[in-house]
Amino acid sequence: MNMKFILADLRSSLKQWLRSKGTVFWTILFPVLLIMIFGSIFSGTGEVEYDLVIQDLDDSELSESYINILENISLLKITIVDADTDLSEYLQEESKSVAIQIPEDFSETLQQSYVDENVSVNISFFYDPSEQTTTSVIRNIITSTLYEYNMGLTGSKSVIGLDDVSTLGEEFNFIDFFVPGMIGFTIMTSMIYGSIERNTKYRKDGILRKLLTMPVTRAEWILSKMLFMLVLSFISTFVILFFGILVWGLSIKISIFFFILVIATSFLFSGMGMIIGRFVKDEETADMAGGAITFPMMFLAGTFFPLAQMPEFLQNVAQVLPLYYVNEGLRNAMIYDDFGKTIYFTAFVLVFALVFFLIGVFLTKWKED
Amino acid sequence: MIEKKVQCPKCGKIITASGNPGEVVKVTCPTCHTLGKVVFKTHAVVSSDDAIEVHDLRKEYGDLVAVNDISFSVKKGEVFAFLGPNGAGKTTTVEMIESIRVPTAGDIKILGKDIRTSFNDVKERIGILPQEFHSFERLTVRETLDYFSQLYSNHADIDGIIDAMDLKSEEKKLYKDLSGGLKQRVGVAISLVNDPGIVFLDEPTTGLDPKARREVWQVIAGLRDKGKTVFLTTHYMEEAEYLADHIAIIHKGKIIAEGSLEELINKHGAGSILRVKDCQSKAAIDILREQGFDVKREGNGDIAVKIAFKEKVLDVLSILKHECIEYGSIDIRRSNLEEIFLKLTGARLSGDAI
Repeated sequence: MNMKFILADLRSSLKQWLRSKGTVFWTILFPVLLIMIFGSIFSGTGEVEYDLVIQDLDDSELSESYINILENISLLKITIVDADTDLSEYLQEESKSVAIQIPEDFSETLQQSYVDENVSVNISFFYDPSEQTTTSVIRNIITSTLYEYNMGLTGSKSVIGLDDVSTLGEEFNFIDFFVPGMIGFTIMTSMIYGSIERNTKYRKDGILRKLLTMPVTRAEWILSKMLFMLVLSFISTFVILFFGILVWGLSIKISIFFFILVIATSFLFSGMGMIIGRFVKDEETADMAGGAITFPMMFLAGTFFPLAQMPEFLQNVAQVLPLYYVNEGLRNAMIYDDFGKTIYFTAFVLVFALVFFLIGVFLTKWKED
Repeated sequence: MIEKKVQCPKCGKIITASGNPGEVVKVTCPTCHTLGKVVFKTHAVVSSDDAIEVHDLRKEYGDLVAVNDISFSVKKGEVFAFLGPNGAGKTTTVEMIESIRVPTAGDIKILGKDIRTSFNDVKERIGILPQEFHSFERLTVRETLDYFSQLYSNHADIDGIIDAMDLKSEEKKLYKDLSGGLKQRVGVAISLVNDPGIVFLDEPTTGLDPKARREVWQVIAGLRDKGKTVFLTTHYMEEAEYLADHIAIIHKGKIIAEGSLEELINKHGAGSILRVKDCQSKAAIDILREQGFDVKREGNGDIAVKIAFKEKVLDVLSILKHECIEYGSIDIRRSNLEEIFLKLTGARLSGDAI
């Protein structure tokens, strides 16, 4: 392996990249635009009917009367779960985002409040911070019903309050959910377009033919270009994280799996780009081919909104998209901190990376027919 | 022992046969079991002066034969022009020699080494400018040369190349900001970064204006002066006439003529034409014909006299003076490669059929 060439090539690639003001601008501005604009837009999506799960631990006439009020609101679709059900687990398993839990001492506290005006009781409000709109709408409904209920009970003071419980265990915002998807998407686009462009442009310019007649191997060339692409991946990733933290108060965890996923994702989509580049002859077609792959994947792999919001058949489609595993891997590693799922999704990404990159290398040929 | 690939006439299977020059080897098709014979032609005596040797080179694309069993050799230190119209098979041939394309059959040796087995050894000793080559747009001229230089173990002096290619004032300019002629000069310069013995230049002046083309010609002439062997493919006959020590004309995949410019003109050309301009004398034609000259009057009042040897020009002028025949001026035009190509193929080098 000619390391001298690999480093020289990396140096020259970076030099050329830095001199292309447009490319540098978009490598940095593109993620910034995504995080600023899409972060705002996708934090608000509407629904006609909202799912609300209710767990009544009190099982009294008073709690039942409050549930009846909620059941009469046409905007809410109520699901009642048993008192012995683990509510957090239930929400996760059933992909529900909002629930309320009426405490055991609900009616007892209300009755006490007639004699002791300092007594109050809190209903637990379980919510998924990544579903900001749904959460916000249901919270408003519950707040206003509680206000009326309080007024009906006491005529003035507020006895029943809300106690917020994030289903993610910690306080996360929608942007925390959104950022890993954005990192996956940004790496995907830069790797796929970069690989395709390299193959089509360098083939058209005779550079691949020239390299074939020089003492450099295909492996050395691909490795040097991968190093360059990895540098770009990390630049984009850190730009996203920097602005995410600075502007949106992003809260994430950076572990070894984060780095493994960024590197594996870069190899995965570079391989995919090489495969496309093998069959695309000119630069115009290359752009279209890149778009045809990246855009559907962007929308179908749960990049900007949770898959649970999509129809079931589209959720099944997502299961075969590599970007889905990247997004979920990054989310579990960076947000949910779920070690088991992180390993699971990272393993998929590594296998995808291995398969796509090897096929890409195999199909990338310099020789002409 | 030579390996040769042949195609079974019955099932189309490519069969590899081995034999010595002059030998006839029997082969059986492994697919359809058809029997056949493969003839191994006796090769010309290999001279150590040969930089490139090509024997029975063939390239097929399905039914199309792009290069049809051609053989030639290139001597060390000469400019060898591979001349032919677009689509004649020039680039396919040179790219097979450069190991970019795989031949269907035939042997290629560079500096005595078979490129099928030893091309990696040869890479350090050759420099190549591919057809329509464009380098990295955002590297300067010097950075470009430094980049390509690092791929080789043998490095030429970059300053020396920059001076020789007259690129000193451009060395800090980005490649994308150079004119077409300068880009081609940089392309030639790149092919010299390893101080190669053989330089392949595939259509180096295509698309350039006449001034830029002349500049590149000067560069190529300079390579010959430095003792480099230059393999030049071109469809410009003036380029071959100006630069080449040896010319091979290729047409529809076959070499139809080969030799130095003088040899080609003597063998295939019509000699030279002495044109006596504004000569109104009716007697002039008869007098010259009586002296054995091939003469014809042209529509504009000129007389065209075919000249076999340059000494005959003086004879014609002496006769005109002796007979007091008045004329405006004279013009001598030698046969050129365009005429030779036209005579051999019935088509112009530009590809237009007559």
